Amino acid sequence: MKDIRELLQDADPLRQEPLTWSERRDSQRNVVLATALAQRDRPRTERRARMRLFIALGFVTIIVLLFAEHLSSPLISNVHAAVRFEVRLAEENPAAGLHTAKVSGTDRSVYLHDEAIVTNGDIAGARIVQADSSSYNVAVEFTPSGADKMRAATARHIGKPMAVLLDGQVIMTAIVREPIADSAVITGHLSKDEAERIAGGITSAR
Amino acid sequence: MNQLNVAQVLPVPGVGSPIERVAMLFDDHYDRLYRLARRLTANTDDALDLVQETFLKAARSPKSIPVGFASEEAWLVRVLINIRRDQWRKTMKRKRYEITASGESPLAATGTDLERSLIARATVWRALDVLSPRRRAIVVMHELDGITVSAIASLLGISQITVRWHLSMGKRDLTHALKAYTEARK
Repeated sequence: MKDIRELLQDADPLRQEPLTWSERRDSQRNVVLATALAQRDRPRTERRARMRLFIALGFVTIIVLLFAEHLSSPLISNVHAAVRFEVRLAEENPAAGLHTAKVSGTDRSVYLHDEAIVTNGDIAGARIVQADSSSYNVAVEFTPSGADKMRAATARHIGKPMAVLLDGQVIMTAIVREPIADSAVITGHLSKDEAERIAGGITSAR
Repeated sequence: MNQLNVAQVLPVPGVGSPIERVAMLFDDHYDRLYRLARRLTANTDDALDLVQETFLKAARSPKSIPVGFASEEAWLVRVLINIRRDQWRKTMKRKRYEITASGESPLAATGTDLERSLIARATVWRALDVLSPRRRAIVVMHELDGITVSAIASLLGISQITVRWHLSMGKRDLTHALKAYTEARK
Protein backbone atom coordinates (compact mmCIF):
# COMPACT_ATOMS: atom_id res chain seq x y z
CA MET A 1 0.00 0.00 0.00
CA LYS A 2 1.34 3.42 -0.95
CA ASP A 3 1.84 6.07 1.65
CA ILE A 4 0.58 9.63 1.39
CA ARG A 5 3.79 10.93 -0.15
CA GLU A 6 3.75 8.32 -2.92
CA LEU A 7 0.10 8.92 -3.63
CA LEU A 8 0.68 12.65 -3.88
CA GLN A 9 3.71 12.18 -6.09
CA ASP A 10 1.68 9.95 -8.40
CA ALA A 11 -1.13 12.47 -8.54
CA ASP A 12 1.06 15.57 -8.80
CA PRO A 13 -0.23 17.41 -11.91
CA LEU A 14 3.20 18.90 -12.52
CA ARG A 15 4.44 15.46 -13.46
CA GLN A 16 2.12 15.39 -16.43
CA GLU A 17 1.87 19.04 -17.38
CA PRO A 18 4.42 21.51 -18.70
CA LEU A 19 5.69 23.83 -16.02
CA THR A 20 4.15 26.83 -17.70
CA TRP A 21 3.37 28.29 -21.07
CA SER A 22 5.66 30.99 -22.32
CA GLU A 23 2.89 32.89 -24.15
CA ARG A 24 0.69 33.04 -21.11
CA ARG A 25 3.61 33.86 -18.93
CA ASP A 26 4.62 36.77 -21.17
CA SER A 27 1.06 38.00 -21.28
CA GLN A 28 0.84 37.89 -17.49
CA ARG A 29 4.18 39.67 -17.21
CA ASN A 30 2.87 42.50 -19.39
CA VAL A 31 -0.28 42.84 -17.29
CA VAL A 32 1.72 42.94 -14.06
CA LEU A 33 4.19 45.51 -15.38
CA ALA A 34 1.38 47.66 -16.77
CA THR A 35 -0.20 47.63 -13.32
CA ALA A 36 3.11 48.60 -11.72
CA LEU A 37 3.49 51.42 -14.24
CA ALA A 38 -0.03 52.69 -13.57
CA GLN A 39 0.70 52.49 -9.86
CA ARG A 40 3.88 54.54 -10.31
CA ASP A 41 2.01 57.23 -12.25
CA ARG A 42 -0.91 57.39 -9.87
CA PRO A 43 0.92 59.16 -7.04
CA ARG A 44 2.10 61.82 -9.53
CA THR A 45 -1.45 62.46 -10.65
CA GLU A 46 -2.60 62.58 -7.04
CA ARG A 47 0.25 64.91 -6.12
CA ARG A 48 -0.69 67.26 -8.97
CA ALA A 49 -4.33 67.25 -7.89
CA ARG A 50 -3.30 67.95 -4.28
CA MET A 51 -1.05 70.78 -5.40
CA ARG A 52 -3.90 72.36 -7.38
CA LEU A 53 -6.16 72.06 -4.35
CA PHE A 54 -3.57 73.71 -2.08
CA ILE A 55 -3.09 76.57 -4.55
CA ALA A 56 -6.85 77.10 -4.80
CA LEU A 57 -7.19 77.03 -1.01
CA GLY A 58 -4.31 79.47 -0.73
CA PHE A 59 -6.06 81.92 -3.05
CA VAL A 60 -9.31 81.58 -1.14
CA THR A 61 -7.50 82.18 2.16
CA ILE A 62 -5.77 85.29 0.83
CA ILE A 63 -9.04 86.68 -0.49
CA VAL A 64 -10.83 85.96 2.80
CA LEU A 65 -8.07 87.68 4.79
CA LEU A 66 -8.04 90.68 2.48
CA PHE A 67 -11.78 91.20 2.76
CA ALA A 68 -12.24 89.85 6.26
CA GLU A 69 -13.15 93.20 7.75
CA HIS A 70 -15.96 93.60 5.25
CA LEU A 71 -17.43 90.19 5.96
CA SER A 72 -19.78 89.43 8.79
CA SER A 73 -19.69 85.67 9.03
CA PRO A 74 -19.63 84.20 12.57
CA LEU A 75 -16.21 82.73 11.87
CA ILE A 76 -14.69 86.08 10.99
CA SER A 77 -16.35 87.80 13.91
CA ASN A 78 -14.96 85.17 16.30
CA VAL A 79 -11.48 85.64 14.96
CA HIS A 80 -11.65 89.38 15.55
CA ALA A 81 -13.53 89.26 18.84
CA ALA A 82 -10.77 91.10 20.69
CA VAL A 83 -11.65 92.26 24.18
CA ARG A 84 -10.33 95.62 25.27
CA PHE A 85 -8.93 95.14 28.74
CA GLU A 86 -8.19 97.94 31.18
CA VAL A 87 -7.55 98.28 34.88
CA ARG A 88 -8.30 101.70 36.34
CA LEU A 89 -8.12 103.16 39.78
CA ALA A 90 -11.58 104.14 41.10
CA GLU A 91 -13.21 106.06 43.93
CA GLU A 92 -16.39 105.40 45.88
CA ASN A 93 -17.37 109.05 45.89
CA PRO A 94 -17.60 111.49 43.01
CA ALA A 95 -14.93 114.07 42.59
CA ALA A 96 -13.61 116.40 39.96
CA GLY A 97 -11.93 114.69 37.04
CA LEU A 98 -13.58 111.30 37.68
CA HIS A 99 -15.99 109.57 35.33
CA THR A 100 -19.08 107.85 36.63
CA ALA A 101 -19.46 104.27 35.51
CA LYS A 102 -21.97 101.57 36.33
CA VAL A 103 -20.72 98.22 37.52
CA SER A 104 -22.04 95.65 35.09
CA GLY A 105 -24.86 93.49 36.47
CA THR A 106 -25.39 95.69 39.55
CA ASP A 107 -27.01 99.02 40.43
CA ARG A 108 -23.77 100.27 41.85
CA SER A 109 -21.67 103.04 40.35
CA VAL A 110 -17.99 103.80 40.73
CA TYR A 111 -15.98 106.84 39.80
CA LEU A 112 -13.12 106.06 37.49
CA HIS A 113 -9.80 107.79 37.08
CA ASP A 114 -9.03 109.04 33.59
CA GLU A 115 -6.03 106.93 32.82
CA ALA A 116 -5.85 103.17 32.66
CA ILE A 117 -3.08 101.59 34.73
CA VAL A 118 -2.65 98.64 32.40
CA THR A 119 -4.24 97.65 29.07
CA ASN A 120 -4.02 94.69 26.72
CA GLY A 121 -0.43 95.54 25.84
CA ASP A 122 0.57 94.91 29.44
CA ILE A 123 -0.85 91.38 29.50
CA ALA A 124 1.54 88.45 29.14
CA GLY A 125 -1.19 85.82 29.20
CA ALA A 126 -4.71 84.99 30.31
CA ARG A 127 -6.29 81.68 31.18
CA ILE A 128 -9.54 80.48 32.62
CA VAL A 129 -9.70 79.05 36.11
CA GLN A 130 -12.66 77.07 37.41
CA ALA A 131 -14.13 78.82 40.43
CA ASP A 132 -16.81 76.30 41.31
CA SER A 133 -18.92 73.75 39.51
CA SER A 134 -20.63 76.31 37.30
CA SER A 135 -18.54 79.47 37.24
CA TYR A 136 -15.12 80.39 35.99
CA ASN A 137 -12.60 83.16 36.60
CA VAL A 138 -9.99 84.56 34.26
CA ALA A 139 -6.43 84.73 35.58
CA VAL A 140 -4.42 87.52 33.98
CA GLU A 141 -0.64 87.68 34.07
CA PHE A 142 1.07 90.97 33.47
CA THR A 143 4.23 91.67 31.55
CA PRO A 144 7.17 92.96 33.66
CA SER A 145 6.38 96.55 32.67
CA GLY A 146 2.67 95.96 33.31
CA ALA A 147 3.47 94.49 36.72
CA ASP A 148 5.60 97.57 37.57
CA LYS A 149 2.76 99.88 36.61
CA MET A 150 0.27 97.87 38.66
CA ARG A 151 2.55 97.77 41.67
CA ALA A 152 3.20 101.51 41.59
CA ALA A 153 -0.45 102.45 41.10
CA THR A 154 -1.98 100.08 43.63
CA ALA A 155 0.65 100.77 46.29
CA ARG A 156 -0.65 104.32 46.65
CA HIS A 157 -4.29 103.24 46.41
CA ILE A 158 -4.58 100.86 49.40
CA GLY A 159 -8.09 100.70 50.85
CA LYS A 160 -9.66 102.17 47.73
CA PRO A 161 -11.42 100.46 44.82
CA MET A 162 -9.89 99.40 41.56
CA ALA A 163 -11.99 98.62 38.47
CA VAL A 164 -11.50 96.06 35.74
CA LEU A 165 -13.04 97.08 32.43
CA LEU A 166 -13.73 94.90 29.44
CA ASP A 167 -14.68 96.75 26.28
CA GLY A 168 -15.26 99.90 28.31
CA GLN A 169 -17.66 98.24 30.74
CA VAL A 170 -16.77 97.91 34.41
CA ILE A 171 -17.19 94.22 35.02
CA MET A 172 -15.78 94.14 38.53
CA THR A 173 -14.39 96.30 41.26
CA ALA A 174 -12.24 95.31 44.17
CA ILE A 175 -10.79 97.08 47.17
CA VAL A 176 -7.01 97.15 47.00
CA ARG A 177 -5.74 95.45 50.18
CA GLU A 178 -2.11 95.31 49.15
CA PRO A 179 -0.07 96.22 46.10
CA ILE A 180 -0.90 94.06 43.08
CA ALA A 181 1.96 93.19 40.76
CA ASP A 182 2.34 90.09 38.63
CA SER A 183 -1.20 88.86 38.17
CA ALA A 184 -4.86 89.42 38.85
CA VAL A 185 -7.99 87.32 38.71
CA ILE A 186 -11.17 88.54 37.08
CA THR A 187 -14.14 87.11 38.93
CA GLY A 188 -17.83 87.57 38.30
CA HIS A 189 -19.64 84.24 38.03
CA LEU A 190 -18.59 83.85 34.43
CA SER A 191 -19.75 80.88 32.39
CA LYS A 192 -17.05 78.80 30.73
CA ASP A 193 -17.85 80.30 27.32
CA GLU A 194 -17.70 83.84 28.67
CA ALA A 195 -14.44 83.16 30.49
CA GLU A 196 -12.92 81.64 27.36
CA ARG A 197 -14.10 84.56 25.26
CA ILE A 198 -12.59 87.06 27.69
CA ALA A 199 -9.29 85.20 28.08
CA GLY A 200 -8.98 84.73 24.33
CA GLY A 201 -10.09 88.28 23.63
CA ILE A 202 -7.66 89.86 26.08
CA THR A 203 -4.67 88.09 24.60
CA SER A 204 -5.74 88.41 20.94
CA ALA A 205 -6.01 92.21 21.28
CA ARG A 206 -2.41 92.62 22.48
CA MET B 1 15.91 20.22 -2.02
CA ASN B 2 15.75 23.23 0.20
CA GLN B 3 15.97 26.28 -2.05
CA LEU B 4 15.60 28.67 0.85
CA ASN B 5 18.94 27.88 2.39
CA VAL B 6 20.63 28.48 -0.93
CA ALA B 7 18.77 31.75 -1.44
CA GLN B 8 19.66 33.09 1.96
CA VAL B 9 23.39 33.11 1.26
CA LEU B 10 23.06 34.89 -2.07
CA PRO B 11 23.92 38.60 -2.13
CA VAL B 12 20.96 40.98 -1.98
CA PRO B 13 20.43 42.47 -5.43
CA GLY B 14 20.23 46.21 -5.83
CA VAL B 15 16.73 47.63 -6.10
CA GLY B 16 16.08 49.88 -9.07
CA SER B 17 12.81 51.57 -9.97
CA PRO B 18 9.56 49.97 -8.81
CA ILE B 19 8.92 48.74 -12.35
CA GLU B 20 12.32 47.08 -12.53
CA ARG B 21 11.73 45.62 -9.10
CA VAL B 22 8.42 44.10 -10.13
CA ALA B 23 9.93 42.78 -13.38
CA MET B 24 12.75 41.20 -11.42
CA LEU B 25 10.35 39.68 -8.92
CA PHE B 26 8.29 38.23 -11.73
CA ASP B 27 11.28 36.71 -13.50
CA ASP B 28 12.89 35.38 -10.33
CA HIS B 29 9.85 33.88 -8.64
CA TYR B 30 7.30 33.09 -11.32
CA ASP B 31 8.20 29.41 -11.74
CA ARG B 32 8.39 28.78 -8.04
CA LEU B 33 5.04 30.43 -7.43
CA TYR B 34 3.41 28.66 -10.34
CA ARG B 35 4.52 25.27 -9.02
CA LEU B 36 3.01 26.06 -5.65
CA ALA B 37 -0.13 27.56 -7.17
CA ARG B 38 -0.66 24.53 -9.39
CA ARG B 39 -0.47 22.25 -6.39
CA LEU B 40 -2.97 24.38 -4.51
CA THR B 41 -5.54 24.51 -7.28
CA ALA B 42 -7.59 22.14 -9.37
CA ASN B 43 -6.39 23.19 -12.81
CA THR B 44 -3.80 25.23 -14.68
CA ASP B 45 -6.13 28.17 -15.34
CA ASP B 46 -6.81 28.63 -11.65
CA ALA B 47 -3.10 28.32 -10.93
CA LEU B 48 -2.19 30.95 -13.54
CA ASP B 49 -4.88 33.29 -12.20
CA LEU B 50 -3.60 32.80 -8.68
CA VAL B 51 -0.02 33.60 -9.67
CA GLN B 52 -1.11 36.65 -11.63
CA GLU B 53 -3.17 37.92 -8.72
CA THR B 54 -0.16 37.52 -6.46
CA PHE B 55 2.09 39.52 -8.75
CA LEU B 56 -0.58 42.17 -9.25
CA LYS B 57 -0.63 42.65 -5.52
CA ALA B 58 3.14 43.05 -5.62
CA ALA B 59 2.83 45.52 -8.51
CA ARG B 60 0.37 47.63 -6.54
CA SER B 61 2.63 47.93 -3.52
CA PRO B 62 6.23 47.17 -4.51
CA LYS B 63 7.59 49.18 -1.58
CA SER B 64 5.98 46.82 0.91
CA ILE B 65 7.99 43.86 -0.37
CA PRO B 66 11.12 43.18 1.67
CA VAL B 67 14.44 43.14 -0.17
CA GLY B 68 16.39 39.92 -0.62
CA PHE B 69 15.56 36.77 -2.52
CA ALA B 70 14.42 34.74 0.46
CA SER B 71 12.38 37.58 1.95
CA GLU B 72 10.77 38.33 -1.40
CA GLU B 73 9.93 34.68 -1.89
CA ALA B 74 8.45 34.42 1.58
CA TRP B 75 6.36 37.55 1.00
CA LEU B 76 5.06 36.29 -2.33
CA VAL B 77 4.31 32.80 -1.03
CA ARG B 78 2.36 34.20 1.90
CA VAL B 79 0.39 36.52 -0.37
CA LEU B 80 -0.36 33.66 -2.73
CA ILE B 81 -1.56 31.44 0.10
CA ASN B 82 -3.70 34.24 1.51
CA ILE B 83 -5.33 34.88 -1.86
CA ARG B 84 -5.95 31.17 -2.25
CA ARG B 85 -7.38 31.01 1.25
CA ASP B 86 -9.88 33.76 0.40
CA GLN B 87 -10.90 31.91 -2.76
CA TRP B 88 -11.11 28.63 -0.88
CA ARG B 89 -13.36 30.05 1.80
CA LYS B 90 -15.76 31.40 -0.80
CA THR B 91 -16.03 28.17 -2.73
CA MET B 92 -15.76 25.60 0.04
CA LYS B 93 -19.41 25.57 0.97
CA ARG B 94 -20.50 25.31 -2.62
CA LYS B 95 -18.07 22.49 -3.34
CA ARG B 96 -19.24 20.50 -0.34
CA TYR B 97 -22.79 20.88 -1.51
CA GLU B 98 -21.93 19.81 -5.05
CA ILE B 99 -20.06 16.71 -3.88
CA THR B 100 -22.90 15.72 -1.59
CA ALA B 101 -25.60 16.49 -4.11
CA SER B 102 -23.98 14.64 -6.99
CA GLY B 103 -23.53 11.48 -4.93
CA GLU B 104 -20.91 10.38 -7.41
CA SER B 105 -17.47 9.21 -6.61
CA PRO B 106 -14.76 8.80 -9.26
CA LEU B 107 -13.91 5.55 -7.52
CA ALA B 108 -17.18 4.09 -8.59
CA ALA B 109 -16.26 4.41 -12.22
CA THR B 110 -15.06 1.43 -14.14
CA GLY B 111 -12.97 1.25 -17.28
CA THR B 112 -9.49 0.50 -18.58
CA ASP B 113 -6.36 0.58 -16.43
CA LEU B 114 -5.42 3.95 -17.88
CA GLU B 115 -8.82 5.37 -17.07
CA ARG B 116 -8.71 3.93 -13.57
CA SER B 117 -5.23 5.35 -13.11
CA LEU B 118 -6.35 8.82 -14.20
CA ILE B 119 -9.38 8.62 -11.98
CA ALA B 120 -7.26 7.53 -9.06
CA ARG B 121 -4.90 10.47 -9.53
CA ALA B 122 -7.80 12.88 -9.83
CA THR B 123 -9.28 11.44 -6.66
CA VAL B 124 -6.07 11.91 -4.72
CA TRP B 125 -5.70 15.44 -5.99
CA ARG B 126 -9.31 16.19 -5.23
CA ALA B 127 -8.81 14.92 -1.70
CA LEU B 128 -6.35 17.76 -1.15
CA ASP B 129 -9.28 20.14 -1.42
CA VAL B 130 -10.32 19.19 2.10
CA LEU B 131 -7.20 20.91 3.40
CA SER B 132 -7.09 24.62 4.00
CA PRO B 133 -4.71 26.37 1.59
CA ARG B 134 -2.07 26.96 4.23
CA ARG B 135 -2.13 23.33 5.37
CA ARG B 136 -2.21 22.16 1.80
CA ALA B 137 0.76 24.38 0.95
CA ILE B 138 2.70 22.96 3.88
CA VAL B 139 1.87 19.39 2.87
CA VAL B 140 2.81 19.83 -0.78
CA MET B 141 5.95 21.80 -0.01
CA HIS B 142 7.10 19.13 2.41
CA GLU B 143 5.94 16.02 0.57
CA LEU B 144 6.46 17.07 -3.04
CA ASP B 145 9.17 19.74 -2.94
CA GLY B 146 10.99 18.10 -0.05
CA ILE B 147 11.32 21.39 1.83
CA THR B 148 12.29 20.88 5.45
CA VAL B 149 10.05 21.81 8.35
CA SER B 150 12.38 24.60 9.46
CA ALA B 151 12.52 26.10 5.96
CA ILE B 152 8.72 26.02 5.66
CA ALA B 153 8.42 27.67 9.07
CA SER B 154 10.78 30.42 7.96
CA LEU B 155 9.01 30.86 4.63
CA LEU B 156 5.56 31.19 6.17
CA GLY B 157 6.66 33.05 9.29
CA ILE B 158 5.31 30.44 11.68
CA SER B 159 6.89 28.12 14.24
CA GLN B 160 8.23 24.68 13.40
CA ILE B 161 5.76 23.19 15.86
CA THR B 162 2.91 24.73 13.89
CA VAL B 163 4.34 23.36 10.65
CA ARG B 164 4.60 19.87 12.16
CA TRP B 165 1.07 20.13 13.48
CA HIS B 166 -0.23 21.13 10.04
CA LEU B 167 1.68 18.24 8.47
CA SER B 168 0.28 15.80 10.96
CA MET B 169 -3.28 17.06 10.65
CA GLY B 170 -2.95 17.30 6.88
CA LYS B 171 -1.88 13.69 6.58
CA ARG B 172 -4.66 12.61 8.90
CA ASP B 173 -7.27 14.50 6.88
CA LEU B 174 -5.89 13.18 3.62
CA THR B 175 -5.81 9.62 4.94
CA HIS B 176 -9.41 9.97 5.97
CA ALA B 177 -10.39 11.39 2.59
CA LEU B 178 -8.48 8.71 0.73
CA LYS B 179 -9.68 5.83 2.85
CA ALA B 180 -12.17 4.71 0.29
CA TYR B 181 -9.56 5.00 -2.42
CA THR B 182 -6.90 2.96 -0.60
CA GLU B 183 -9.42 0.31 0.35
CA ALA B 184 -10.53 0.04 -3.24
CA ARG B 185 -6.96 -0.53 -4.35
CA LYS B 186 -6.33 -3.34 -1.86
